[in-house]
Formats: sequence, C-alpha cells, structure tokens
Amino acid sequence: MQLTRKGHSGQRTPSRFSSSLSDTLSRALPTMDRRTFLKRSGIGVGAGIAASQLSLIKRANASAAAGDGKGKIEVKRTVCTHCSVGCAVDAVVENGVWVRQEPVFDSPINLGAHCAKGAALREHGHGEYRLKYPMKLVNGKYQRISWDVALKEVSEKLLALRKESGPDSVFFVGSSKHNNEQSQMLRKFVSFFGTNNCDHQARICHSTTVAGVANTWGYGAMTNSYNDMQNAKAALYIGSNAAEAHPVSMLHMLHAKENGTKMIVCDPRFTRTAAKADQYIRFRSGSDVALLFGIAYHIFKNGWEDKKYINDRVYGMDKVREEVMKWTPEKVEEVSGVPEAEVFKAAETMAKNRPSTIVWCMGQTQHTIGNAMVRASCIVQLILGNVGVSGGGTNIFRGHDNVQGATDVGPNPDSLPGYYGLATGAWKHWSTVWGVDYEWVKKQFASQAMMEKSGTTVSRWVDAVLEKNEYIDQDSNVKGVVFWGHAPNSQTRGLDMKKALDKLDLLVVIDPYPSATAAMAAMQVDGQELNPNRAVYLLPAATQFETSGSVTASNRSLQWREKVIEPLFESRTDHMIMYQLAEKLGFGKELVAKIKLVPGKGGMMEPEPESMLEEINRGTWTIGYTGQSPARLKAHMRNMHMFDVKTLKCKGGKDPVTGYDMTGDYFGLPWPCYGTAAIKHPGSPNLYDTSKHVMDGGGNFRANFGVEKDGVNLLAEDGSHSLGAEITTGYPEFDHILLKKLGWWDDLTEAEKKAAEGKNWKTDLSGGIQRVAMKHGCHPFGNAKARAVVWNFPDPVPLHREPLYGTRPDLVAKYPTHDDKKAFWRLPTLYKSVQQKNVENKLYEKFPIILTSGRLVEYEGGGEETRSNPWLAELQQENFVEINPKAASDRGIRNGEYVIVSTPTGARLKVRALVTPRVGPDTAFIPFHFSGWWQGKDMKDAYPEGAMPVVRGEAVNTATTYGYDSVTMMQETKTTICNIERFAA
Amino acid sequence: MARMKFICDTERCIECNSCATACKNEHEVPWGVNRRRVVTVNDGVIGQEKTISVACMHCSDAPCMAVCPVDCFYRTDEGVVLHNKDTCIGCGYCSYACPFGAPQFPSNGTFGLRGKMDKCTFCAGGPEENGSKAEFEKYGRNRLAEGKLPLCAEMCSTKALLGGDGDAIADIFRSRVMRRGKGSEVWGWGTAYGKSPNPNATAPAAATAAPASFTEGKK
Amino acid sequence: QEAAKPAAQPIPAAAPAPAVESVDIMKQNQAERSRDQPGNNAPVWRAVKEGQQHYSSLPAPEAGVLIQAKEQFPGQARATSAGEAWRQYRNGPLTSYGGWLLILAVLGIAAVYLLRGQIKLNAPRTGRLIERFTSLERVTHWTMALSFLALALTGLTMLFGKHVLMPLFGHTLFGWLAYACKNVHNFVGPLFTASVIVFFVMFVRDNLPGKGDLDWLKKLGGARGHASAGRFNAGEKIWFWGGVTVLGLIVSGSGFVLDKIVPNLEYTRALMQYANVIHLVAAVLVFAMSLAHIYIGTIGMEGAYDAMRTGYVDDAWAKEHHDLWYEQIEKGEIPRVRTAEGAKVIQPAKAV
Ligand SMILES: Nc1nc2c(c(=O)[nH]1)N[C@H]1C(S)=C(S)[C@@H](COP(=O)(O)OP(=O)(O)OC[C@H]3O[C@@H](n4cnc5c(=O)[nH]c(N)nc54)[C@H](O)[C@@H]3O)O[C@H]1N2
Ligand SMILES: Nc1nc2c(c(=O)[nH]1)N[C@H]1C(S)=C(S)[C@@H](COP(=O)(O)OP(=O)(O)OC[C@H]3O[C@@H](n4cnc5c(=O)[nH]c(N)nc54)[C@H](O)[C@@H]3O)O[C@H]1N2
Ligand code: HEM
Ligand code: HEM
Ligand code: SF4
Ligand code: SF4
Ligand code: SF4
Ligand code: SF4
Ligand code: SF4
Ligand SMILES: [Mo]
Repeated sequence: MQLTRKGHSGQRTPSRFSSSLSDTLSRALPTMDRRTFLKRSGIGVGAGIAASQLSLIKRANASAAAGDGKGKIEVKRTVCTHCSVGCAVDAVVENGVWVRQEPVFDSPINLGAHCAKGAALREHGHGEYRLKYPMKLVNGKYQRISWDVALKEVSEKLLALRKESGPDSVFFVGSSKHNNEQSQMLRKFVSFFGTNNCDHQARICHSTTVAGVANTWGYGAMTNSYNDMQNAKAALYIGSNAAEAHPVSMLHMLHAKENGTKMIVCDPRFTRTAAKADQYIRFRSGSDVALLFGIAYHIFKNGWEDKKYINDRVYGMDKVREEVMKWTPEKVEEVSGVPEAEVFKAAETMAKNRPSTIVWCMGQTQHTIGNAMVRASCIVQLILGNVGVSGGGTNIFRGHDNVQGATDVGPNPDSLPGYYGLATGAWKHWSTVWGVDYEWVKKQFASQAMMEKSGTTVSRWVDAVLEKNEYIDQDSNVKGVVFWGHAPNSQTRGLDMKKALDKLDLLVVIDPYPSATAAMAAMQVDGQELNPNRAVYLLPAATQFETSGSVTASNRSLQWREKVIEPLFESRTDHMIMYQLAEKLGFGKELVAKIKLVPGKGGMMEPEPESMLEEINRGTWTIGYTGQSPARLKAHMRNMHMFDVKTLKCKGGKDPVTGYDMTGDYFGLPWPCYGTAAIKHPGSPNLYDTSKHVMDGGGNFRANFGVEKDGVNLLAEDGSHSLGAEITTGYPEFDHILLKKLGWWDDLTEAEKKAAEGKNWKTDLSGGIQRVAMKHGCHPFGNAKARAVVWNFPDPVPLHREPLYGTRPDLVAKYPTHDDKKAFWRLPTLYKSVQQKNVENKLYEKFPIILTSGRLVEYEGGGEETRSNPWLAELQQENFVEINPKAASDRGIRNGEYVIVSTPTGARLKVRALVTPRVGPDTAFIPFHFSGWWQGKDMKDAYPEGAMPVVRGEAVNTATTYGYDSVTMMQETKTTICNIERFAA
Repeated sequence: MARMKFICDTERCIECNSCATACKNEHEVPWGVNRRRVVTVNDGVIGQEKTISVACMHCSDAPCMAVCPVDCFYRTDEGVVLHNKDTCIGCGYCSYACPFGAPQFPSNGTFGLRGKMDKCTFCAGGPEENGSKAEFEKYGRNRLAEGKLPLCAEMCSTKALLGGDGDAIADIFRSRVMRRGKGSEVWGWGTAYGKSPNPNATAPAAATAAPASFTEGKK
Repeated sequence: QEAAKPAAQPIPAAAPAPAVESVDIMKQNQAERSRDQPGNNAPVWRAVKEGQQHYSSLPAPEAGVLIQAKEQFPGQARATSAGEAWRQYRNGPLTSYGGWLLILAVLGIAAVYLLRGQIKLNAPRTGRLIERFTSLERVTHWTMALSFLALALTGLTMLFGKHVLMPLFGHTLFGWLAYACKNVHNFVGPLFTASVIVFFVMFVRDNLPGKGDLDWLKKLGGARGHASAGRFNAGEKIWFWGGVTVLGLIVSGSGFVLDKIVPNLEYTRALMQYANVIHLVAAVLVFAMSLAHIYIGTIGMEGAYDAMRTGYVDDAWAKEHHDLWYEQIEKGEIPRVRTAEGAKVIQPAKAV
C-alpha cells in the first residue's frame, strides 16, 4: 500500500507546472511497506511483528528531505530525562540545532512511545527560560558575573567555610538527574572536600524501598522490568500512579491486560491508573501495612501461601504470620476503611493468578513508616512465592531518569559508590579505584570518625542549619549549601526552609534551571532575619542532552546517551564544573587521577564520560556495574531492534560497527552484570531467578546477613539454587577463603590470584573471584534466604503506626508512632512527642482533611524544567487541590474557584479547587510540581531575569509537615492534614 | 488508495497528553492552538472514567469544508482534509461546524480577528510543495510525504491512538478487542465517517458476530 | 483462565437481545452497565454524544466537549450534531431561501418599475422649498445607508460569494476579496449600529403611529387613491420600525456576538451558530426591504431623492405625499425652516 502520495482531488486546481512538479516529487519520496506501517502504528508489542526498521541512515535521508536540504543532518540517540522508564529518543540535529525528534520504534523499552514530557524533549534544545550565565545575588537582585569570577568566589567561600567551620559545615545536594559518571564523580568530589554531607533525590523518593528491600533479600532495586510485566497474570499496584508517573510502563501493562492479566489498584485516589484496573480499592492514606497484611491474612487463611518456597527461601515467615493473623478483616477495615470482601478479592486474584506482581512507588515510601510498608509488600510476594520469578517480583517503579544509577554510585551520605558503606575497608577500596592515597583522603576529613559517620540527609539539611548546635551530631552547623541539580520545593516544611536559606553563609545552585531555589532565596519574607553576609551564586549547568553518558533505568538497564547538542548559552557540563571547582579547591589532580581529560566546551578540558564509566566498571563489584563497558552499552544502543520486547534478550546478532556479538545479552545489561566486560555476563533481567543459570542472568537471594541467626539457618535450603549451580544448597558469599575451601582457587589465573588474595567478591579488583564462582554456576554473593524479619530495623516485623499528623486520634491510641530519637543521621528526630502534642491540641478538629500530594503527567519533580517548557506548561496552567464534591459543598466551594489550603505549619496555600470524586470526602490532593507563589503571592520579582518559568504556582511543600522515616529519614509527604476554605479576596 | 483515519482506543488511553505534545513539538504549534487535545469523560467516577484523545477526524462529508465561505478546504487522495491558509479569512465558521472542535485560531476572535485557521493536518502539510519551508511554516511537517505516520499516534504512550489507513488500523483495533473482549466501540467514527468502521473488511469472527456494536453510542 | 475466553465471543454487547433493552438500560450509568454487560461502554458514548463538557486540563472554552451537542433547527427532520445541523441550515434553507428572496425582491422591484414606472409628481413644482431634513439628519442617514450597504455587500459576499463570485474571480482573488469583505464587515458593523441609534433618536417622534396610517395602508400607499400621510407615511414607518429599528438592532445584536465583543458572554459554538442564524435571517430580510426602500428613494419616486440629497422638498411634493405634514407647516405648527443654514437656502427662494 502506498501511503505517501499527496492528493490533488480537492477543488484546488494547481497550475500544470506545479502539479507535475509535485507528481515527480511524490514519486521520488519513500513509501511505506505494510510492516513499517504496522510498526509505526505501534503494534510491535508482542503481536509477532518482525522487528525491521528504517536504518539510521535512511532515517537521516528522510529528515534531510524534510529540511531545506542544505544543512548537515545528524541523528543522535538519547534517552528521556524525565523518569525512570528510560524511553529512547532520536534527536535530529541540523547544523548543531536540535530540529526534530523522532520516536525510536526499536527500543524494547518504549517502542517509540512517550508521555507528554518525553514528547516535549526537544524544547531542551532551545531552553528559552534557562539560566544563561553565572549570576550572583547583590542587594536582592541577581547580577550577571563571569565564570572566572564565579568559580573564584565560590571556591574561596567554600575553602573559608572549610577552614573556619570544618568540611562538614557544607552540605552538597547532588542529583538523580546526573548521569552515572557525574554521580560517581560528585561522590568522589564531596569525599575529597572532606565530608559525607551529601545526598540526592533518592532520599526523598525510594530510600525506604532501597533500605527495606535490600535488607529483605539483598538488592534494593526493582526486581523485574516493565517488559516482564507482560508475563504477569495479575498485578497489584499500591501507591503507584503509573499512568501519570510512568506512563510508558502502561504500554506493557495494558498489553498484558489484553492477554488476560488482572490489574488491581489500591490508592486513596481514583487515579488514571485506577481507571484501567479490574479492581480498584480506595483506602485511607498511610494505612498500607494494614491493607497488605489484610491481604496476607486471607492468603494464609486459605492456605494459598507457597509453602515450599517459604521453607526453602524465606527466613522468619512464622513470626510474620503471627503479626499478619492479628489483622482480622474488622481491624483492617477499621484502619484502612476497606471492607473484607474487597480485600479478599484482591488476595484471591493475586493467589490464583500466579505469577503475580506487585508495583509500588511513592504512595508507600514517603511515610514515617515507609520502610515497614515496603517490607509488607515484599512479604506478600514472598508468601506467594512470587519473587525471583518472571511475571512476578516487586516492580518498584523508580523516580528520576537516573535515580537508580545515582543511588547505586552517587552521592549518598551513608555510602561510597556501590553500597560499599563508609567503613575503612570501603574507603580503601575506593581510594585504590580512584588512584588516590587513602591517607590523603582521610586528611581531607575532620577526623576518621567523621569520615565513617553517615552525613545529614537532604530531607533534613534545613534542620542541620537551624537546629541548636548542641543537639547536632557534628561540630558546626551546616552553613553552606550547594544545590547541584535538585529543587527546593521538593522538600517538606517550606516555611522552615526559607528560614534556613536566609541563615546560610553560602548558597550555590548549579542547575540548568536554578530559578526555584534562586527565587526562594531572593524573596523577602516580612519580619524574617536575613544573614547580612549571605552569598548566593547561580551557575548554569548543561542538561543531559548537552553531554554523553550512561543512565540506569528502573529495570536496572543502562543506556548510553549520545551528546545531542553543545552546551547552550554559557552553560557547562556538570563534570566540567566539578573538575574546574576541584582545581580551585586544590584537589583537581586527585579528582581525575585515573580519568582521561578531553577538550569540552570552548576547548576547556573536561573528564571524558567513557573514561568515567570505566572507573565505575573498575570499582562497583557489589552490584555488578562492572560488565557494562562503554563499548557494550553503545552496541546495545545502536542495535535496539535485536532485543526482544518481552524478555529484553538479544535474539542473536553482531554489532555491525564493532563486530561485538550480543547474542544472549539482555538489553542495557541490567545490573548485576558481574565480572569484567570480557567474560560477557549478559545482565540480570529478573533478580533472584533460580530458573536460569547465573551466566544467563539467573540468581538467588543474597547472603548478606550472615549464615545463621539465633541458631536458625539463613542460607537457602537444600535443592534451592540457581540453575546449574555446582553447589546445590545455600552458600555464603564468595571470598578468597571460600574459593580455597572449595578447591576452586586454582581456576584463577596467576594475576587474578595476586589480586584476589585476602579479598572477597566485592573487593577483588581483578574480578577473578566473581568469574570463578560463576564458572561453577554459583552466585558471587552467595545463596541465602530472604528475610521476612529484618531484625536490625526498629520494627523487625512491619507494624502499622499512625502518621504524626492524622485525623484519627482513636487509632493513634492503638497504633502509636515510634519514640523520639536523639542522634539520627546527625540530628534529633521526633516522633511520639509530635504525635502526642497534635492529639492533645486536637489538630484533627482544625484540620479535618487528609492532605496528600503527588504527580501530574505533564510536570516533573519540582517542575522548574517542565514548567519552563511551553508545550507542557500550556497543559497545566495553575496549581489546584483535588477536593471531593461533598467536602466542597460542605464548605461552599465551587469548581474552579480559588481556595486556601492551610496546614498546622501556618502555611496558607492559594490554589484552584478541582472538585472531583477522584478523592473521597476525607482526602485532598495537591500536585507538588509548582513553585513561584509564596503564601498566595507571585514571586515574579525574585527570579533572575529571563529565567522565570512559564507557569508558576503555590508549592504544596510550603505547607507540608514534620515527619521522617525511622530508618532512612524519608520525609512524610503522603499523609498530613489540612483545612480548605473559600478564598475571600 | 488508503483512507487515512484515527482510532483512539479508550481502553488504553491514559490521558498522558503525549499526543497533544508531540503535535506541538513536531509542528511548532503556538501556545493557545491545540490541534489535538485529550478529554476525560466521567473524570474520577469509579468504574466510569474513560479518556479520549481528539483532533480533526478528517471527515468523509466534512462540515468544515461545506461552510467555509472561501472554500479553502480540500481533500487528498488519502482522505485527509487539508486547507489553504492563503485563502482562509479567519471567519471561524469551520470551527462552528466541526463536531469535534478541531479548527483552532491563534487569536481570540474579537472583531473577528482570529488569524488563519489551524488544525490537524494528519501530519500531511498543506498545499505548498511537499517538505518545503513554506509548507512547514504554515502547516508544520509533512510526515506522510516522508513515509511516516502522524507523530501523535506514533508517540502515543500506550498506542491507544492509531493513525493511518482506516482498514489497517481497524484490523489492529479489532484484534485487540478480540483479545480483551471489550471496548469495541470506535469513538467518533459514526460522526466523522457516517458509518461503522470498515464494514467491508473481512475480519475474523468479531466483525460478523456483532458488526453493529462497532459503532459508538449504540444504545 | 477467565481472560482467555473472549477470543471466541469477542463482543459481549452482542449477547443479550435488544428486546431486553428497556428504558432502564438507558438510565444505567457506566459502572452499572459494566457490571451487567462487561465491556459495554454505551453509557459513556451517550454522554459523549450529549455534548457535555468533560474534564480537560486545557483552559480553552469547550476543550472538554468531544462532540457538539445535538441540535435541530426549525424545519429540520432530525437532530444532528449541532455543527452539522447548523451547516445544513445555513447552507440549505438560509442560503437558498435567502438567495431566492433577494432575487425575487429584485425581480419584483424591476417588475414594478417596468409596469408602473416612476411615481411622478402630479402637480408642477411650486419652487417653494421646505427644509425636510437638516444636514445632521442627512449625515446620519447617509452614514447609516452607506455603512448598511457596505455591510450588506460584504456580508452577502461571505454568504453567496463562493457560489457567485468565486467561479468568476478564481480562488485566490476571491480569497483576497473575501478577506477584505470580512474585515470591512467586522469593523463597519458597530458604525452602522451607532448610526441606527442616533437616527432612531432623531426620528422616533415623527414615526409614532398617527392618524392616516391605517388609511395609507388600506390604500396601499396611494395605489388606490390618494393616501394622506404625516411627515412620514406608514410605509416609511414600517421601514423605520420594522426594518431599521427591529431588524437593524437584531442584526446588530447578533453581529456584536459574532464579533465577540459583548462582555461577560461565554462564546460557545452553539451561541455562535444561533447568532449566525439570527444574523443571517435578519440580514436577508432587512436587505430585501432596503431594496424596496432604496428603489422608492431613488428611481421609484420623483423628488424623494432630493429630500435626502439636499434636504429640501418642494411644496408640491410635500402636499402630494405628506399632506398632513404639509398642512402643519402651512399652519405654522411645524417651521418651514429649522436651521440657519436652511434659512439661507430658503430665504432667497421665498423672495423670488
Ligand atoms: N509525570 C511525572 N512522572 C514522574 C515524576 C514526576 O515528577 N512527574 N517523578 C518521577 C519520580 S521522582 C517518582 S518517585 C515517581 C513517583 O511515582 P508515583 O509514586 O506513582 O507518583 P505519586 O503521584 O507521587 O504517588 C502515587 C500515588 O500514591 C497515592 N498515595 C497517597 N497516599 C498514599 C498512601 O498512604 N498509600 C498508598 N498506597 N498510596 C498513597 C497517591 O494518591 C498517588 O496516586 O514518578 C516518576 N515519574
Ligand atoms: N509533597 C511532595 N513532595 C515530594 C514528592 C511528593 O510526592 N510529594 N516527591 C518526592 C520525590 S519522589 C522526588 S524524587 C523529589 C523530586 O524533586 P527534585 O528532584 O528536587 O525535583 P526536580 O525538579 O526534578 O529537580 C531536579 C533539578 O535538577 C535540574 N537538572 C536537570 N538536569 C540536570 C543536569 O544535568 N545537571 C544539573 N546540575 N541539574 C539538572 C533540574 O533543572 C531541577 O532543578 O520530590 C520529592 N518531593
Ligand atoms: C442609497 C440608498 C438610499 C437612498 C437613496 C435613500 C433615500 C431615502 C430618502 C429619499 C428618504 C427620505 C424619504 C422621505 O423624505 O420621506 C429616506 C429616508 C429613510 N431612509 Fe433611506 N435611502 C437609502 C438607503 C437607506 C438605508 C440603507 C437605510 C437603512 C438602513 C435607510 C433608512 C432610511 C430611513 C429609516 C428613512 C426615514 C424613514 C422614516 O423615518 O420613516 N435608507 N431614504
Ligand atoms: C445591517 C446589515 C447587515 C447585513 C446585511 C449583514 C449581513 C451579513 C451576512 C450576510 C453575513 C454572512 C453570514 C454567513 O455567511 O453565514 C454576516 C456576517 C457577519 N456580520 Fe453582518 N450584517 C449586517 C450587519 C452587521 C452588524 C451591524 C454587525 C456587527 C455589529 C455585523 C457583524 C457580522 C459578523 C461579525 C459576521 C461574521 C462574519 C465574520 O466574522 O467573518 N453585521 N453579516
Ligand atoms: S517521562 Fe518517562 S515515560 Fe515519559 S517519555 Fe520520559 S522516560 Fe518515557
Ligand atoms: S473533524 Fe472537523 S475539521 Fe476535521 S474534517 Fe471533520 S469537520 Fe472538518
Ligand atoms: S476560518 Fe478559514 S478555513 Fe475556516 S471557514 Fe473561515 S475561511 Fe474557511
Ligand atoms: S496527525 Fe499530526 S497534525 Fe494531526 S494531531 Fe497528530 S501530530 Fe498533530
Ligand atoms: S498519547 Fe495516547 S494514551 Fe496519551 S493521551 Fe494521547 S491517546 Fe491517550
Ligand atoms: Mo522520586
């Protein structure tokens, strides 16, 4: 079928000349065959359409035909920066200008599909509303300065702070938007500055997941993949609004649904995801443990649990069972509001349609008991024997495009890259990898104690500034903050944050769109004290489209982004800025000791991303970031069509450029991809999957918690092991001793032996231990049981506890929160005292509505980037509060009018009322992507000139309240209280 | 000759607005002009919510075309309804007539000053030479001439939106309906094409079983 | 496995026979329908076709309407999507009946002229003049008249142009012409309205129904014997009230809506369709009437045009056509001269 000819059948009668011209033209233009047509219509998913595609070259010609035909046209393959799905994009660049964006149908992850944000990516190539040059706050107004002045002044001020108050007086807020290479380098940068006071988005995103899940079975990541959800027979979404937050994941789920997968959504709101579900369960925000244990109750009661699996692979289920059986249907209904029949139905669906998977996201993580909620989800899956199974698993949808990677190798306050922790051994390991002297690093710190003590978290930097000095667990308060790719309006307690911002000595914002922080720092709040010596600098960073590097999607696949365009305006890449600042701070050489420098913008030298990735490859053995060499990743990006959509496996084929044979590789080499690139581990599509050989991506639970606990075996039982393992029972993690005991030591080469002596699978830089373990079909990290009881956590068996700010004093009495903590991540942290006071003050009467917050599909995070994108901004022009029609009519509120949402902090947000049954009468919802209004006023004047986003609005986090997870310091954003009243002008 | 049509599969559409944004991006459509938009029916009502993406449907007997005082519309061989901005006088009549609200104007229309009408071109440009600069500036890209399909459909997050030869997309849609056993109505086809989709195509069981329910709003 | 089933019987809606579909089924909401007939979305489609506003994050008016509500204009056999109904109405009856009306009006006038010829003055002119219209009155009339004509010609070009002019001029040229017409029309409209209002104030007193009007009508304005009239005869009054005031204001009002300049209105498509229909009907009627008026004012009646051109009429004309008015002037109840300017013109005449 020919689909391309332009018709002339209208009344229009073109002149004979022009008509014959266009006839010739249309004959010359490409036509579409049926296969291409079907692919372009998006039927590729599982419908057995062969994956053939226009080659890149042909594609370039096609776009050349579209342009004026004169310019130099290149197609660069990159990856969307707006969420963890990792959708690939082909950017068409003409003479250095990003002129078009084409879908990548070959991508097994997104098959060309995008959500609004991905479809609007090209705007990054224009960046009209970006910060264009360095600026400095002078007398309340931002003034342009040169890079030289900026770098000089910023480094001088940092050095002065370091000298006067110690390195811990500076807090570095890193970024999950940095690529892996930049993330790792930033952790190194902060270490060389001499502090662990660094953090990034993951803290306020999935920290509870990472801690809870890793402590349950080994790794704190999504176990399977979006693609693998096609294999699920049932899926339970709890606290995930994937249709808005991970829209392209729905491509796989909806396809699965058409093949019979049952979909259940539990959410306080009837979301766009819920609208696609077979069963929707509305429940009270903050009561996930009750609901999940309610489900587990029915599973146990009906004997639906996987007894063999539990016996072979799970530790502590009997204790959990005791707690679960306390959650009788009446109790579940009392706490969560869900009637027995609905809970039963969900339990039955999950049990009778195995493999079934569970999906969670921020609805579970962002609570004072987030760590317990996520473990309750893990427990349900363990009971059903769903973990380590294709179609099952815990599909934990991660947040930012590279939050997975930044968590894995980036600036965490409690760990060096790769979850090595902060103990001496970890420092020595990384010092070797970085090519610096351990003693030199140690000298950079205030002391060895501070070097090995976890830093403050991004959720609490405000308190590290404001708290009385005697209460904090470091010498000086925090006095300088560097925001390196993070928004301010994403952290709770905005009113307090403003106080902290005004108290600082130094604030540096390094960001393509630093304007939210800039405006918040520059605006004046009446009656608030302002540090007269405060210095504020804004440095324009380049986006990820202006550099290259790798990014880790939610499913642990790494993708390589090509550089699309040169850094716009005066912006510089983050790694260039790191290197230049390090030079001024006196550790430039050390920062790039093992890294190749190449000329970057304006001929200035910058670290080479490939070389930076190789450093990650050299050091990150724990989680298998070692096999993903730049060459392998690039080959995958070039040959996406060779990977299967359902399994992500390469069906066979060689990269035409390098000749590298990708047969058997999983797309993007999802970590763990153990050993060196040379041994060609294919990556692990589904974690802990015993049905596959370890060299085919198989696995089992990790032996990370010892071999026994109180006399109970923690290793897997006999017969439980990954396919083809020579050890057919549980075994501990591999080290030089175990290898010798097993008699496998001599499988190492001489060179490997030298490197491996005295080392374990995580610290052997030769990779020999891993190679040999896997050669024998064994998993380098051992073979153990998952822990249903995490004994090192405050609640070893997950317990329901009421939020600090709630509307149910009756339940607080039954399910009170934790006791206050003194020094927790360097800060005193309150629980019971706050909760009790709130009940005594009867806050539930003044603030009778539960306030929750979350996402809109059009905007991302703090929203400064996306609200500066006119294509997106047009779609959501004002912030709003979702309020139930009944709650609205009780208050005389009509749809579309302004209302005031007030919370116990004293904040008063002016937003539009969206009167909708999406929420029940007891709940209200405000999207969190807005900023630029402060307590009803537009802060227009506070923005640096030309860098104000198109749409501004009230930030919900101006009004959010106190409350932090008892393990990770996650902030409580999903459950607080508010009152809503009509706005009287 | 292929007859170009759209299907929006409401069992799949999740209101992600990718289609609307892709269109803006591809054609540099200015603020305030929305060639495609996304609408949710029964928003927030449990069990009743459905989302639909809508743009010009390129109607068979197009009302816009009929009322245009200067006859600036024309139909291509593929059934795509295009218009000529050079002759458009910005009277707005096409927008009054269009059942789907497709025609858009860059200005608000006070004193009739609306500017030239703009609407979805099915990514097929306009009367200017294919792929020319003039065509791009007035109508956006001409993807059909490049052998591609509408970008909104190509980028749809869930492939809810299908754009292309009416018979082919009806086949695709039908195979989905068969697999899931529901959501068989093809939204907007009755209004746009005056008949149920693709009555002649020989489809497996489905079509013969209940062709009537392939139309919207049956009862 | 439940989900595998549908392959054989894919469309559940087909299962229950239509006989069961009672009124109740029409009242079912989607949730109820999904429960009874899984996969049947009819209630949603019904809501869509009813043209309600649904949710859309875009603030544009009617962004949430998927398909326009149904509409049935007078005389239409069935309701269709409002846009379609309007198109049928405008392109159908309004265009064709309107067109025929105008053609008939022209033909009728031509016939009258051919059969009857110009209405001549029976008596010779006396040479005595009466100041019938002051210059202000004339300026107002001509403003109104010219703006009307501009509107009528431009408006009719928009309505009939593509049938009449486009075949002559070709697409491009006609496009330009129509563009000019539209803009002239849009901006001249308010001028016309303003002139109508001023004109109305000026002349309303003399257009109040008075004695003789009925008689004038009975005698068909003099076709059946002499018909007495005041300053304005009943025919003119009908033109004044029916044509200019009522239709003029209807055309103006609807025109203002079409121009989107009435504040605090929500300019929905339905409103625009109604406005257009009203505007069109009134415009065609008033234009047809105006043809008659212009005919009488020019070639139809000797001496009439002078009144509007110069402002003065001869006693003979006044006596013949507006005898009651003339009597009043003779009696001195109405001054023969009303302005200083008029005095200049008429004094010498008197002296003659
Ligand atoms: N469009 C868009 N997409 C994004 C992002 C974005 O900013 N915009 N950000 C990315 C990031 S960083 C992340 S972390 C993910 C987040 O993705 P999600 O977590 O899916 O998104 P949220 O809207 O924050 O929250 C999900 C749901 O939790 C519900 N919820 C509220 N309280 C509770 C509760 O107590 N229990 C349960 N179970 N649910 C509750 C809310 O009603 C909401 O529908 O999205 C990623 N994708
Ligand atoms: N109330 C409430 N609060 C929440 C949440 C909630 O659901 N409710 N969700 C929480 C969650 S899950 C998260 S992840 C956070 C997200 O909140 P943030 O991560 O703070 O939000 P973003 O706006 O994505 O911040 C990223 C910043 O990085 C910048 N940036 C982008 N690319 C680059 C780059 O290459 N280099 C540099 N240097 N900068 C770059 C962007 O311009 C932006 O300013 O918000 C949290 N806050
Ligand atoms: C070129 C065209 C026109 C000519 C030659 C013309 C001529 C005249 C003349 C001669 C009179 C005076 C009649 C008399 O002395 O009694 C008159 C009156 C009047 N004309 Fe016109 N006219 C024209 C167009 C119009 C138009 C377009 C309108 C309306 C829109 C209009 C509205 C009136 C009215 C309302 C009166 C006064 C009648 C009354 O008040 O009862 N004329 N015209
Ligand atoms: C009094 C004599 C008038 C006549 C004979 C007239 C006639 C017409 C006609 C025939 C049309 C075209 C309708 C169609 O094609 O469907 C039209 C359109 C229109 N008229 Fe008038 N009209 C008159 C006065 C006015 C006035 C006083 C206004 C405004 C105050 C006005 C504003 C409009 C507008 C806004 C349109 C829509 C055209 C567009 O915006 O492109 N008209 N008119
Ligand atoms: S935001 Fe996420 S789902 Fe949307 S296009 Fe980007 S990566 Fe894909
Ligand atoms: S949808 Fe509207 S604009 Fe498109 S062809 Fe039909 S009537 Fe015309
Ligand atoms: S706005 Fe343009 S295209 Fe639409 S009817 Fe008027 S002239 Fe025709
Ligand atoms: S077909 Fe093209 S022009 Fe039409 S809505 Fe889709 S992207 Fe826009
Ligand atoms: S892109 Fe697809 S799923 Fe998203 S709103 Fe448009 S049609 Fe619906
Ligand atoms: Mo996040």
